Amino acid sequence: MFAAIRPAGQDFPLLLHLVGATVVFGGLLASIASLALARGEARLLRLGYYSLLFVALPGMALMWGAGEWLYHKQGWNKLPSDLKNVDWLTIGFIVGDYGGLFFIAALIVGGVGIRRLKNGTSDGGLLKVTMVMALVLAIGYIVAVWAMTGKPTGSSSAPAVAASNTATSTAVTVDATEFRFTLSKTQVPHGTVVFTLVNQGKISHDFSINGETSALVAAGKSTTLTISLAAGKYLYVCTVPGHANAGMQGTLTAT
Amino acid sequence: MSFENWIFALHLLMAASLVGGLVMSWIILVAQRSADTAEATLGLHRVALVATSVVAVALPGVIALGIWLAILRPELRPWHGWAIAAIVLWAIAAAALLRSTVEYAKPVKKARALIASGDTGPNSELIALHRTATGLMFRAIASVAVVLIVIDMIYKPGA
Repeated sequence: MFAAIRPAGQDFPLLLHLVGATVVFGGLLASIASLALARGEARLLRLGYYSLLFVALPGMALMWGAGEWLYHKQGWNKLPSDLKNVDWLTIGFIVGDYGGLFFIAALIVGGVGIRRLKNGTSDGGLLKVTMVMALVLAIGYIVAVWAMTGKPTGSSSAPAVAASNTATSTAVTVDATEFRFTLSKTQVPHGTVVFTLVNQGKISHDFSINGETSALVAAGKSTTLTISLAAGKYLYVCTVPGHANAGMQGTLTAT
Repeated sequence: MSFENWIFALHLLMAASLVGGLVMSWIILVAQRSADTAEATLGLHRVALVATSVVAVALPGVIALGIWLAILRPELRPWHGWAIAAIVLWAIAAAALLRSTVEYAKPVKKARALIASGDTGPNSELIALHRTATGLMFRAIASVAVVLIVIDMIYKPGA
C-alpha cells in the first residue's frame, strides 16, 4: 500500500513510474531465467535477449520518463541541492541513470551474442555475460525499490552535534500536519538548536534543515533533531515526496 | 528505518515481484504459442517455473504484509472500502492464476508423454494445448485484477 494521502496531481505519474518499473523487473527476470536455463537451446537464448530488448527496454523508458515527471511534480527541482541530498533519492538516481547505461551495455553485448549465435560462430558465451549483467541490474532494482519505499535517511538522521552541547541550546517545537509546518520560533540565536518534530497529521512526515534530516515520524509520534546553525537564513522542508511542494517548507532565521 | 517502513518496503517488493512475475509469465506465454515440440515445451517450462515460483511467494506475501501494514498504520484500516476492494481483487487474481496454471500444466504433461514415447518431432496437439483459450482467459483475468489492485492502491478511492 502506498501513502494514504498524497498531494494532488501525482497519482498518474506515480502509476506510470510503477508500471514501468515492474515491466523492467519482469523483463529482467524473464531474461535472466531464459539465459540461465537455456542449456544451449537457441530458442531460449533468443527469448532471453528479446525479453531485454522488447520488454525491459520500453519499461525502462516509461519508468525513467514518469520518474522525471514525478520529480518535477513533487517540486524536487525547486529545492536547494543540500536538501535534495536524500539517501533514497540518490540511490534511485544511481540505479536509474547508471543502471540505464549498464542496461544499454548489456543490450549491446547481448546483441553481438545473438548475431554470433545466428551466424553459428558462438555457443552463447556473450549471452551468459548479458545474463550476469541483467542479474546485477535486477539486484540494483531490488535495492532501488527498497530505498524508494523504505526511504532510509542514513547518517543525515543522526544528531549533528554532541549531546553535551545541548545544555545551551535553543528548543524549537515543530508541529507537522498535512501539508504545513508550524514552528514555535522562526527566529533563533545561532548555535545549537533542538527541533522537536511532533506529527499531528495523519501520515508520516520528517523535518529537514541545513542538510540534516530527522527520522521519519508516524502520525501521533515525535522525534528530535539537534543541529548547530551559524547566523543566516535556512530553508526547512519535509522530504517525503511532494510534501514540500504541497506547503511543508519555510524559512528559519538564526541571528 | 522504522519497523513499519521495513514492512512497507517488503510489501512493495512483494508487489513488484508479483507484477514482475506476471509480466514474465506473459513473455513465456507468447513464446509458448509457437513451441511445437516436446523439447521446446519443456525448455520453456523450466523458465516458466521461475515465474510461477516468484508469483507463488509474492501473492500471499503481498496480502499478508498489506494487512499487517494496515493494522500498524493508524491512517489505514483493512475495512476501508479501497482495502476491501483490493482484498476481493486479490482473491479473484489468486483463483484465476491457479486455474490458468492448471491449464498450462497440460502441455507439459503431454510433452513428457511424447518424450517417453520417443516422439520428438512437431506435434499439433501440443500446439493446441499451448494455445488454450481457457488458460489465456484466466491469465488475462488475473492480470487485469492485479493491475486494478495497483490502481486502487495508488488512487485509494474513498480514503
